[in-house]
Amino acid sequence: MKFLRKINRQYLVTLVIILLLISFGGYFLLQYIIYNEIREDIYEKEYAIIQEIKSQHKLINIYPIIETRKISQNNREAKAKKEIYLSDEAEGEAEPYMEYTNSVKINDQWYLIKIRHSLWDTNELIMAIALPLLLLLLLALSFSFLLTKKFNKTVWKNFEYNLNRIEKYSFDRFRELSLKETQIEEFDRLNKTILGMTLKLGEDYFSLKEFTENASHEIQTPLTIVLLNLEELLQQDLNEAGLRQVVSAMNAIKRLSALNRSLILLTKIENSQFEADHELIINDLIKKKLQEFAPLIETKKLKTELDIQNDFKVKINKQLADALISNLLSNAIKHNFHEGIIQISIKCNKIKICNTGPQNSLTNKTIFKRFTKDRSESYGLGLAIVKKICEKHKLEINYSETGFHCFRIIYNQKD
Amino acid sequence: MKLLIVEDETELLVAMRNYLIGENYICELAENFRKADEKLSIYEYDIILLDISLPDGSGLELLKTIKKFQVKAGVIIISAKNSLDDKITGLDLGADDYMTKPFQLSELNSRIKAVIRRRQFDGSNILKFNEFSINTDSKSVTVNDKKIILTKKEYDMLIYFIINKNRVLTKESIAEHLWDDNIDMVDNFDFIYTHLNNIRRKIKTAGGTDYIMTIYGMGYKFTDQ
Repeated sequence: MKFLRKINRQYLVTLVIILLLISFGGYFLLQYIIYNEIREDIYEKEYAIIQEIKSQHKLINIYPIIETRKISQNNREAKAKKEIYLSDEAEGEAEPYMEYTNSVKINDQWYLIKIRHSLWDTNELIMAIALPLLLLLLLALSFSFLLTKKFNKTVWKNFEYNLNRIEKYSFDRFRELSLKETQIEEFDRLNKTILGMTLKLGEDYFSLKEFTENASHEIQTPLTIVLLNLEELLQQDLNEAGLRQVVSAMNAIKRLSALNRSLILLTKIENSQFEADHELIINDLIKKKLQEFAPLIETKKLKTELDIQNDFKVKINKQLADALISNLLSNAIKHNFHEGIIQISIKCNKIKICNTGPQNSLTNKTIFKRFTKDRSESYGLGLAIVKKICEKHKLEINYSETGFHCFRIIYNQKD
Repeated sequence: MKLLIVEDETELLVAMRNYLIGENYICELAENFRKADEKLSIYEYDIILLDISLPDGSGLELLKTIKKFQVKAGVIIISAKNSLDDKITGLDLGADDYMTKPFQLSELNSRIKAVIRRRQFDGSNILKFNEFSINTDSKSVTVNDKKIILTKKEYDMLIYFIINKNRVLTKESIAEHLWDDNIDMVDNFDFIYTHLNNIRRKIKTAGGTDYIMTIYGMGYKFTDQ
């Protein structure tokens, strides 16, 4: 959940709770205060009635609010305060009243006094006070909520902007990361730290990039000189032994060059110097590569079985996709029997490349390691490169050997 | 044919020049960006071999000078980097071909010849060798005026042989020529032997001479000497 949404949600929930508490609490408080007022009013009336009876010696009856009558003796139980409903004759509706009953002795005569106070108006009064209050409160709180939301947005806007910049930043584009100043101390501190870190990372990235470029140039050029001279030597009238020596030296030079190239490729992949810039359909690539390798496949009289059920799409760098498929297919051709089989299947985000071939001692754990190999002619780098390419593109690769040597590439779309 | 070789490594420059002079090219040399830029804006060349990593500038920059002053010239980039981006940039900027170091002289010659053919320098589309005549536009091969049909790989191989006649070519270099980028996957060169036998058979059927000499099972030489 986004930070702002989370804050806003919590804020909103808290507001609702506060509002509920305030309105309930406020209602009862208001009711309590008003009832108190009514009670006091009733006591005052009672006192006035007693004074009236004392001086005038006559009963006062004003229905329904005052009722007095003589009683023969003290009726202690009569003293009570309760809420009753009386039917109003005019309107025929039951109205709530607070009824106060007491027995009092005036001039040696016991009187029962009933004083009633209509609660109808009181309830209306409470509503009349509470509702506008509640509305005002609601208004104020909503206003404050919206305002806070807006403030939050302004405060976090620059942060959001910077976050976007950082997410989209790539060292490969020869520009420094620039972040907006937020005028908020914590955010600016964060920016400073991130800028410092990217600067350091950028330096490392470029120095490694430079190294890979130099290493390539500085090694391949002298190798070319050796190779050209050997080639000219080859044109002399050499005997068989001499020729063999020159050819073997030439092949060693080529191996050295290929090895250097592979190691540099690995370093470049590790240094993320390739951008995954193409949405590629691997099916097409496999078909294209099979065509390219057809002469090699024919020479070994290999049988290829293709089972393609759906498109395997992945966002990948073109050159790396090429290297990935080339390495896997050439692997399947190279380490195969004469008249062997290559099976390729693509289904449900899975590519499977299987081949027949001699037994080896390599396992899923060791096969992708650099310089592990079962035969001396290979460099042991092809599968290391395959593994690295997969790792960089969130592809999972594994190897298993059950009669066939199988490589499985699985695309985890969740990431 | 007049060539300009732009390369900062002197020994490589000399090795290339010696070989190319032997192949009857007129060679001029430039060992840095400044000299290359100067020569390119004064003289006229048919072919320019261009190393792109020079100490005082990028060969890719020189392509702009070439575009301005050397409209007719064919350009082959020679780079130590096997980088797809550089290759695409180079070809986009008007280069005809892109070679990566290390390369072999026979391969260089074959690429130069291919550029010459493509650029159609004076009647360069007919390749002749004794009774062989190859029209490189229509890709048709005749032996004693009799047409022979070759597969694409066989045709490529024959051209490679004729262009590098009288030179020992190793099996590996032939395979590299035929498969350039994917050569590191080839672990046995039997298929070359198969292609070669097919070519030999087709030439003999047409009444031609088999000029392909096998050298101790390690290489071949196309020669009439």
